[in-house]
Amino acid sequence: MANFDQELDARGLNCPLPILRAKKSIATLGGGQVLRILATDPGSVKDFEAFCKQTGNTLMSSGQNDGAFEFLIRKAG
Amino acid sequence: MAKRLQASERRASILAVAKVLFADKGYHGVSVDEIAVRLAVSPAVLYRHFSSKQDLYEAVLSEIACTRENYVDVVVRGPDDFGGMLARMTLMYVESVARDPDYLRMELHAALEGSQAARQFFENRWRPFADYIEFGLGELRKEGVATGIDARIAALMFQGMVREALYAKLVYQADRFRDHSLVDLVKHLIAMFLRAVKLG
Repeated sequence: MANFDQELDARGLNCPLPILRAKKSIATLGGGQVLRILATDPGSVKDFEAFCKQTGNTLMSSGQNDGAFEFLIRKAG
Repeated sequence: MAKRLQASERRASILAVAKVLFADKGYHGVSVDEIAVRLAVSPAVLYRHFSSKQDLYEAVLSEIACTRENYVDVVVRGPDDFGGMLARMTLMYVESVARDPDYLRMELHAALEGSQAARQFFENRWRPFADYIEFGLGELRKEGVATGIDARIAALMFQGMVREALYAKLVYQADRFRDHSLVDLVKHLIAMFLRAVKLG
């Protein structure tokens, strides 16, 4: 598993809460640090792609793990 | 002679006509024959694209689902405060419904017709508001704000308010509110809601 600096458990939350909580978590990270997010909302795959495109952060990986979606996002800067 | 349509054009025209009829009469009030007559084709043409009326109905719902509101934009652009986010989400939703009021009529029919799948579909459209309000007020309560508010009931209140505004303006076209645009009406209601949960 890739290294990460902070983890966000957004399982059980529906759009837009995973995105909103990710935005808040990323705000606490330094540039280049990585946030790992776990989510169960099927819409979160598209949502995090759009989120990274709009914010300039990098979606390093997106996949499924133990029945949840897992995203690794590297903060820009 | 009627122009022969490409398969994709034919499918789109069937969906468009079916949506209007389902919105006017509900699932049970419309037959495949009636949709075919409206399209000036034989029922066999419909069955080439959809295996059954249920299949066609679900395809109409899927069309609505494809235009799902993009709340990512709402989150990214603008401050994160509870009221501001809620207002941006709500206005995006209301404007989207106003562009296609047939959706509301289908929702009303679905509420009475007992189709679990359709009811679930429409409930899911409201779900982001219920979840956002419950979760957001829960977080604020931990900070000592909005205390003494039942977040789940507050979410119900909000949904009832906005839904009724949509019905008043888009379904009943109520004369009583002719001086208010839908957006103005909803903005007023959001402000009243925020005061009710001690955030305004």
